[in-house]
Amino acid sequence: MRLAPVFALAAMIPAAALAGPAEVVEAHILPGTAAFSQATDALAKSAGADCRAVALRAPWNAAFDAWLGIGHLAFGPIEADGRALGIAFWPDTRGLVQKTVAALIANQDPAANDPEEFAQVSVAGRGLFAMERLLYDPALADYAEDDYRCGLVRAIATDLARTGAGIDTEWREDHAQRLQTAGAPGNDTYLSADEATQTLYTALLTGLEFTADQRLGRPMGSAERPRPNRAEARRSGRSLRNVTLSLTALQELAQTLSDAPTPRTDAAFAEALAAAERPDPVFADVTTVQGRLRVEALQQRVRAISDAVQQEIGPALGVRAGFNSADGD
Amino acid sequence: MQNRRRFLTTALAAATAPCLTWADIGAPGYLAAAREPDGTFALHGLSGRSKPLFRIPLPGRGHAAAAHPRIAEAVAFARRPGAFALVIDCATGQIIRRLTAPAGHHFYGHGAYIAGGDILCTTENHIDSGTGRIGLWSRSRGYLRVGSFASGGIGPHDILRLDDDVLAVANGGIRTHPAHGRDKLNLDTMRPNLSYLSADGALVEQLELAPELHHASIRHLASGPDGTLAFAMQWQGDPAEPAPLLGLHRRGEAAVLAQVDLADAIAMQGYAGSVAFDGSGAFVAITSPRGGRVQVFDRAGRLVSVQRRADACGIATNRDGGFLMTDGLGGTWSLTDRQMHATGKSNLAWDNHLVAVS
Repeated sequence: MRLAPVFALAAMIPAAALAGPAEVVEAHILPGTAAFSQATDALAKSAGADCRAVALRAPWNAAFDAWLGIGHLAFGPIEADGRALGIAFWPDTRGLVQKTVAALIANQDPAANDPEEFAQVSVAGRGLFAMERLLYDPALADYAEDDYRCGLVRAIATDLARTGAGIDTEWREDHAQRLQTAGAPGNDTYLSADEATQTLYTALLTGLEFTADQRLGRPMGSAERPRPNRAEARRSGRSLRNVTLSLTALQELAQTLSDAPTPRTDAAFAEALAAAERPDPVFADVTTVQGRLRVEALQQRVRAISDAVQQEIGPALGVRAGFNSADGD
Repeated sequence: MQNRRRFLTTALAAATAPCLTWADIGAPGYLAAAREPDGTFALHGLSGRSKPLFRIPLPGRGHAAAAHPRIAEAVAFARRPGAFALVIDCATGQIIRRLTAPAGHHFYGHGAYIAGGDILCTTENHIDSGTGRIGLWSRSRGYLRVGSFASGGIGPHDILRLDDDVLAVANGGIRTHPAHGRDKLNLDTMRPNLSYLSADGALVEQLELAPELHHASIRHLASGPDGTLAFAMQWQGDPAEPAPLLGLHRRGEAAVLAQVDLADAIAMQGYAGSVAFDGSGAFVAITSPRGGRVQVFDRAGRLVSVQRRADACGIATNRDGGFLMTDGLGGTWSLTDRQMHATGKSNLAWDNHLVAVS
């Protein structure tokens, strides 16, 4: 009973003044959307000043870090108008980012000159992953100020900044209120108070599932056929970093969502974050037995968080995973 | 003797089948299965404006229902692999027959009436061979099993009665075996189709999509005006791939697959749960509980609007215009091709399908 003393201690801490959707909005969502808006704005300003790859890798990474703080909030403003895919088009099973970026360059597509027009470009040609190609692919990243790619990078950065500002504004001016007035007359987004809680709870579980099944599961492939080339953002060396930052954000969501102490969930997050210190940064060694075991151990720890959340947080909040979405027919 | 026999026949009929029509019991517009707040399951009757009319407990999770065309009687199907199909007198709430699939078969969850409401057709799996069957049950003979014929493929799911008692069957193509639960046993080789069968089981037309779409399991059907059939699909390939989820077909013609851009395609997560035409017949909608979306298309397969709602699944024609939709959070919704608004909210979790009572 290693957990017993922790539990006893936690039980003595008084409940936070805020809890549930209101606390999630104030302490998790709005700081996250503001940070993403600021980071993408900084990226666009940097691109305006110097569009070369060497100058943009740092602000691009900062923008990606900020995205991981909110990317799991797959409802409301982030999911409107295909925004989430326009920011982060991954997994990309058909190599559409590469094809779309190559076609934009080959055609010297004038959409890059007009933000309105560029916003209509396929989601595979926009966002963090299209930009990763231009900043990190050795065949593309060596461009000068007068190259089409310079304008393309600026267009992508501007588009990200517009999207980031739009998300932050919509959350601040509209969706925060909707979430906190769930069930009130006229609120056609959340028909009862439970629905706000349910939405945040679903985002937490879906985020954990995405990290386990996609961020870790895709490069793992099968034992016979590991797929290290399918790791997320491997060109920029971010694959493992994305897992860690996403878990950190999901931990914050879990802690702000729950009214009561969550010792099991906290312990599960701590164990997963510890396990995340061991794998290769881009899971390149999933082709070896030892490398694969390290990623597999991390995946199991992430799934254990989901179990803890479903046993500890779900029942306490009186919500569970979607009825039809979880098991359709 | 003659009189006595007639009396017995009438008495038997009265004992085995209700005589009240849908109109007699308040003309429910729709049937839908749900999970109740206490975790049990029930079949609900809803008015044309989705207000609750009646509630009949079920012994397990339901999937779809088949409504008799005239009499207030419905068959509620368990979700696959179906352990039960229950004939329910919707006037009294009594279960009047419990249908058991013949040995070596199980139900897939949908059914349809033909022969003026006398024959119930059920989609079934012949477990050993994995071939799809359509079971036939005679209502006038107390839902006696009176025969079966081939469904035209593997994994028949939804079934619809069209004009002249032609049956449209969505053969999803996926082989399952009760010993393996809901595991899909043949994803590499699956070949779904849409089959049109005559009432005596003859295959009159069959639609198969291009080989590269063999992972698009044809699952649910809706019939529209002038013989157009809409079919909704569930993609069994990589869920991150943009796959077509809606097709429109008229007999003797090629299918039209709905076209959407990359972001809208991926947002549905490869899964359409239900399909319906709107009251005008000009629009058709599919739901994705996984993507939390309803997509509305015109008859040419062009996307005209997207509505977002978590766990959206059941959808049916609203005869007053537009659609009615239900979700797993207990919401009922009215939709047009342009907008959506809530018509009700309860603590039920509405199950996959909203079935219009004709």
